[in-house]
Amino acid sequence: MKRWMLAALAVAALVGGAALMQGCTKGIRGGGSAAAKTYVKPGEYDTYYAFLSGGHSGQVFVYGMPSCRYITTIPVFTPESAKGWGYDEESKAMLKGMNWGDAHHPGLSETDGDYDGRWLFINDMPHARIARIDLTDFTTKEIFGPIPNISAAHACPYPTPNTEYVFAASRFSIPLPYPTVDKVENYAKDFKGIIAGVKVSPEGHMSLGFEILMPPFDWDLADAGKGPSHGWEFFTCYNSEEAHDSLEIKASQNEMDYVAAVDWRAAQKAADAGEGTMIGGVKVLDPKVTKGIVYLVPVPKSPHGVDVDPSGQYICASGKLQAEVTVHSFAKLMAGIQAKKFEKEIEGIPVLAFNDVLEAKVPVGLGPLHTQFDGKGNAYTSLFLDSQIAKWKIGPPWNVTDKIDVYYSIGHLMVAGGDTRHPYGDYMVALDKLSKDRYLPVGPSHPEAAQLIDISGPKMELLYDFPTYPEPHYAQMIRADKLKPMKIYPLADNKNPYAIKSADQARVERHGKRVDAYLLAIRTHYTPDIVRVAQGDTVYFHVTNLEQDADITHGFGILFSNCDMQVEPGETKTMKWVAEKAGVTPFYCSNFCSALHQEMQGYIEVAPAGTRIASVSKPSREQLAQVAPLLRR
Amino acid sequence: MSFVVRYLTGGFRSSERRLILLAALVLLPVFFLPVLPIWEMHLRAPQYPEGLKLTIYSNTIRGDLDKVNSLNHYVGMHAITPEDFAEFRYLPQLLTGFGFLALLAGLLNRRWIAALGWLLFTGFAVYMFRDYVLWLYRYGHELDPRAAITMKSFMPPVIGYSKMANFHVLSLPGPGTVVLGIAWLLGPLALWMERRAERAHAHAAAAATVAA
Repeated sequence: MKRWMLAALAVAALVGGAALMQGCTKGIRGGGSAAAKTYVKPGEYDTYYAFLSGGHSGQVFVYGMPSCRYITTIPVFTPESAKGWGYDEESKAMLKGMNWGDAHHPGLSETDGDYDGRWLFINDMPHARIARIDLTDFTTKEIFGPIPNISAAHACPYPTPNTEYVFAASRFSIPLPYPTVDKVENYAKDFKGIIAGVKVSPEGHMSLGFEILMPPFDWDLADAGKGPSHGWEFFTCYNSEEAHDSLEIKASQNEMDYVAAVDWRAAQKAADAGEGTMIGGVKVLDPKVTKGIVYLVPVPKSPHGVDVDPSGQYICASGKLQAEVTVHSFAKLMAGIQAKKFEKEIEGIPVLAFNDVLEAKVPVGLGPLHTQFDGKGNAYTSLFLDSQIAKWKIGPPWNVTDKIDVYYSIGHLMVAGGDTRHPYGDYMVALDKLSKDRYLPVGPSHPEAAQLIDISGPKMELLYDFPTYPEPHYAQMIRADKLKPMKIYPLADNKNPYAIKSADQARVERHGKRVDAYLLAIRTHYTPDIVRVAQGDTVYFHVTNLEQDADITHGFGILFSNCDMQVEPGETKTMKWVAEKAGVTPFYCSNFCSALHQEMQGYIEVAPAGTRIASVSKPSREQLAQVAPLLRR
Repeated sequence: MSFVVRYLTGGFRSSERRLILLAALVLLPVFFLPVLPIWEMHLRAPQYPEGLKLTIYSNTIRGDLDKVNSLNHYVGMHAITPEDFAEFRYLPQLLTGFGFLALLAGLLNRRWIAALGWLLFTGFAVYMFRDYVLWLYRYGHELDPRAAITMKSFMPPVIGYSKMANFHVLSLPGPGTVVLGIAWLLGPLALWMERRAERAHAHAAAAATVAA
């Protein structure tokens, strides 16, 4: 055979082989199998962060999407020993002794109506608290509240498009201020609802902006206006019947309940002008006196969710007991307000006529709760009773174009970016209330269930089904490249007044009965590792983790106590321990850190009460010599 | 011999002079700032998939010093700190000094200054390399006998790859050394160009004689 023929054959074989290989990979990647669409190779990252509220666990769960891998828990309202949350003095002070929370609605901070990746806000309904989680280190930085006069902050926090405000509204009206002695029978007369606007400073700090006195309806959910409706916040309510018992029946009688539209700029202006009456230590605006801050728009049959579409033109509310989504037009609402075309007033709040504001009714199915949007002209509504999600077209003919089954009894649904001006439009997560038979049985206490759904095509496609720990309500999903989390805390930036950064600063200091123990932690020892105190002393352990290496967390756990904290690289944390009895108590690193982790331990030596102890004691010279080179930074 | 004397006492051709000035240009400014690494050490272990790096400049050592020191303390190795190296206090000045010599040679058009500078530079390079090897030797051999992990003393790789405990170590000269090497090579290059030009000249002269 001639040489050129051989060469030609070789080339042909190569080309053929390559084509074949490409065919194979196509088969795996683009073949559309749900497994391939959720598969993220070991060592590779997901494209989205999903933040699922933890419900009555009080926390936030972080998942990677589309793999649906659970990544971590951000402790917020409940002590969490795994991360030492609520054990060190700083987080203890934030929790103010409360040991539970019910976290419902995570809300990512926004700029121009889109997620900016700075913070995640989340509410604790029963204690009317709002927490701000910093997304540079995924830790809770601030817990605002309990917000005065708010009783069950369910419609919360639902940030405005530039994170000017987060909101809270009372789900369970009460006589104000709390606590007030009264008869529940006096509900309609004495009980009040409250809507609060909480200002967020450019640094994220929360403060009360204004409060509005509302009729004693059950204020349920909220959403911020955007685009043309920027400047307004919308709240649903049920129980416009003002029932105070057997709500199941009595609060389901009226044909119409309401969406309240709050003009938060006008409300803030009135509050700044000093309007309002003092209730519970804060000024509260009364719509009977202060006009033009809030309006009511009828919505049929006990609406739950209220959701503003990406264009900001439509306000979608779903009556739980009706098979339709009611779409109101913001433009019509404004026209009605301008023409002062009101049906009536309820406790000073003008009520618009249903038909004057209505844009469309969409027959979605049974038990519609929440609606999200994909930015491509479609809306998705969760159907609790049908255990389905209905996809429908925004705009005429306002019809349902697809439905998908979910498992089971869906509450919220969440489209990636689905509450922003520019939803990502590729994934949707169904957050179900019941899992029943979906996973390996673990006894009567079932996990919750969630499903990842591909919404990039004309038909919704179920990709994955995964259990969640109780109990996600709502969730948020942001593109991973929007976040740049830090890996360690730079020691140079550690400005904690109790931080020490070199071995010669390590010491135990006595101030009367208070002892301050300044400890260094670095692989694999504490300096000092023997702390001598006397019975009756209150010891503050200030532990600085000198590591600057990622993932080298050091724990500090004291045996036979309620004390165990976790100190991240470069961080200083303080924990209080009372020397109640004389004797020797070990402490140790409770977070596996390195090859000699087992050796990372120490002792507290408690002498009998009255024993004289040096006012300052430092580690021995020998011990310092061992560690000094390591501690030179 | 006569060539050498003639060569050393003479001035430069314009091309040579350009080379000398280039050497000066390279040596003069860049070594006062830690911008051009002289040597780089890359370390990789299972739990450090992103790798650790130590970078030596003329005036400091940078990179994952803290991390490397934290790990080295297990085997009782001295902590590596820039303050330990007296070299960092004279190296930038010396390198710049060589730059000055080259500049001087170029400006004064004195070949012997360039030759002297080149010889000193060569000696200096040999000395510094030996110094570097010695430092590595010391780090690998002066291990604290009380360290948690007893390790046989070892020689870290001066150049190239080796495996130390769970670490794969790759040690390579950095761009700074490449620049220095080029500056150094300009010496022999100038000499070679000179010789070639000389020969061509002699050839031309011979040809002219024959022609005449």
